[in-house]
Amino acid sequence: MFDQQDTAAPLVIEGLTFRYHTRPKAALRDVSLTLERGELLLVAGASGCGKTTLIRCINGLIPRTYRGDLEGRILLYGQDASGMTMARLSQTVGTVLQDPERQILGSFVLNEVAFGLENLGLPREEIIQRVDETLDYLGISHLRDRETFYLSGGEKQKVALAGVLVMHPSILLLDEPLASLDPASAQEALALFRRLADEGVSIILVEHRVEDALSIHPDRVLFMQEGRTTYYGPPDDLAEVVDYREVKMPAHIVIRRAASDPPPSFVPLIKPDGREPLVTFENVSFAYEEDGPIVIRDVNLTIHRGDVIALLGPNGAGKTTLVKHAIGLLKPRQGRVLVGGHDTREMSVAQIAHTLGYVFQSPSHMLFAPTVREELAFGPKNLGYAEEAITEGVNRAVEIVNLRGLEEYPPLALSFGQQKRVSIAAILAMRSKILVMDEPTAGQDYWNYMAFMDSILQMPGFEAILFITHDLDLAICYASRVILMHEGRIAGDGPPTEVLTDLELLRHCHIVPTSLLQANLKYLPRTGRFMRAEALAHVPVA
Amino acid sequence: MLVAWKYKERNTIIQRLDPRARWIFLLSLTFSIVQFWDIRFLLFFFVISFGHYFLCRLTWKETRRIWTFVLTLVVVIIGINAVLTGRGGPGEVLKGPKHILWQVEWVVPWVGWTISPNITVEKIVFAITQMVRMLSITVLFIPLAYTFNPNQYGVTFRGLGLPDKVAVSMDLAFRFVPTLARDFSITLDSQRARGYEVERLEGGLIAQIRKMAPLVVPVTINAIVGGEDIVNAMDLRCFGLRKRTWIHKLEYRPRDYVLIGLSVLILAGSTFANLGLGLGNFWMPGWALRLFGF
Repeated sequence: MFDQQDTAAPLVIEGLTFRYHTRPKAALRDVSLTLERGELLLVAGASGCGKTTLIRCINGLIPRTYRGDLEGRILLYGQDASGMTMARLSQTVGTVLQDPERQILGSFVLNEVAFGLENLGLPREEIIQRVDETLDYLGISHLRDRETFYLSGGEKQKVALAGVLVMHPSILLLDEPLASLDPASAQEALALFRRLADEGVSIILVEHRVEDALSIHPDRVLFMQEGRTTYYGPPDDLAEVVDYREVKMPAHIVIRRAASDPPPSFVPLIKPDGREPLVTFENVSFAYEEDGPIVIRDVNLTIHRGDVIALLGPNGAGKTTLVKHAIGLLKPRQGRVLVGGHDTREMSVAQIAHTLGYVFQSPSHMLFAPTVREELAFGPKNLGYAEEAITEGVNRAVEIVNLRGLEEYPPLALSFGQQKRVSIAAILAMRSKILVMDEPTAGQDYWNYMAFMDSILQMPGFEAILFITHDLDLAICYASRVILMHEGRIAGDGPPTEVLTDLELLRHCHIVPTSLLQANLKYLPRTGRFMRAEALAHVPVA
Repeated sequence: MLVAWKYKERNTIIQRLDPRARWIFLLSLTFSIVQFWDIRFLLFFFVISFGHYFLCRLTWKETRRIWTFVLTLVVVIIGINAVLTGRGGPGEVLKGPKHILWQVEWVVPWVGWTISPNITVEKIVFAITQMVRMLSITVLFIPLAYTFNPNQYGVTFRGLGLPDKVAVSMDLAFRFVPTLARDFSITLDSQRARGYEVERLEGGLIAQIRKMAPLVVPVTINAIVGGEDIVNAMDLRCFGLRKRTWIHKLEYRPRDYVLIGLSVLILAGSTFANLGLGLGNFWMPGWALRLFGF
């Protein structure tokens, strides 16, 4: 199809500038790059830096779906891409979106993976053969006849990728493909991207988990800030250019660079004390349907006053199901859950919400109000708080999640990261004694989530905090207690220095040790506890 | 992401049939039923509908909720409405001779309109006819969600002669309802965690609708955003480029031809009886009048 396929670079971008019609400022400014055959290019930067816009310009969604002013040129194998139809573009450029849920169309894996080839009108036998080859290549042949809806996050991501790879694109665009994956699945996915590049596919990997992405040795890195390129070159020099507080870098680099900065001054306000039980799970078992598969098995667990708990475990381990019991949205099939000494079966969710605030994983399912301020006041109003208390709670919540200045904006018009912070603030404003957060850092920049986690832990009024996360480093930096879940059971429970030093247990729970964990293990004899990399930088040499 | 209906393999005669033949059967029967207001004909279809329903071997547990919904709709809304107004059917119910059982005149306060919902024997017979008619159609379609393999949604509609684009859209549209239900339940949970109690809706109609905003807004916005995502995802995989292949292949077997033949026969027979012979108008049995002492 492309005459110069052998000589010209697969993708050349020259002076690309783009402004969405709906926004006053340009999302991309004068971005240029060249992608060679088999090259793996990492595009990194904080949210709102223009990464996703760049992807949309290449795959044709800009300007075809998203309207705006586009300047500059995009050349595919030497040909100007602006004249090509989406369908023609899509045969060369494959795109995997951030959230596989937004990409999967078919109700069964086979239909889903075959969709693109069906549209190309290939013979049925050839489609089936190519689908089987692709599933085999990705090691997911066993999913072929499964319903897509019931797949785990990691499986969905692979199926979405299969649906693109089956079309044999020579350029692959991956928009934050690790966002919904547990660490083990993320490692697997990264290894796969490396293999594809080695086999000749040119890949643009957009990811803000820079540390993870660097582990597969991208050929080059493009670092963006506010739509501009601030670094474009080999990965080795990236560390010298970017601020380690803004982008998550490998621990040894942070330790080296933070040594010359003043030590961090983070002291959590919430501390373990009298061991008074706040929430108790007694022999809890649960299945969604009466004779359906058991999701939670015989869990015994007590959340004490002063606990800061990180709940870790692979996709589908039952973490969300477990914590939904704490607020009474689910009632155990066997056993009981006590909140403040009362059985959740005898309380309404609204009653429990007075003591326990629960932040859902997805902000888009709860935001409705015309302004951020009204959105945040909704919870406290429902609980019947006085006007002044509501205003005070809302103002403080806005401060903590860094939304100052956006109070009168409609939450639905904000970016995903901002919406997520609104959803956290909406619960903070209710001033519950116990705070439960499901994946609070998903879709957030490193700088932003570290800032609000710092603030939340320094906020007065909380008696216990529990967060579900895939990010082991979040547990290392903040938790006073770590709970590991695996296949509906509690596989480990204790202080981080006990649970996270058991590497065999971590492997069993599909948790991959991070560079920060490794650094902490090295320093542990001297520190006696886990700490963030910036703090490790100031540990005196023995 | 779209959710499919709760389908499962049941190894029944119905599920062994080609889905296209089943659709032809369902549509033929529906178009036959709507031609009749005579309860004698309608009872014939009523028996077929329920026969079909039982052949699908659905359990009471899985259909309990839909039955509650359907019966409420048919009995309360359609049935009571028919008894009170006699509307919604052929004109003769209201125009013909009336045998009044209960007469009442009620003046609406302030506006002064007079409402006289006279209950007549004709209206009662009509209400029963109407319920039988509605149930016959509904009961035909209830099993569809449980017994129509989601794998074959698209290819079935394509096989029925719809163009590629429409067939794919039908596949997606068919899964929209369960998706909406899933989104609604997630939103309801999120808002309940913020102290929202849907049971405690107070105030007038407008106030109540306004208080539904925390549920309605996120669900609606998600549906719109989800729709855009679907369009983008289809574009990114070359949808609409040329005539598409469907990897699933449907093949008629002898039993499917039998069913199609039967369906055509029923539809043709019904149409002939109705248009050709003028049968099927509203029928007022003499014994119904005698039953009420006329």
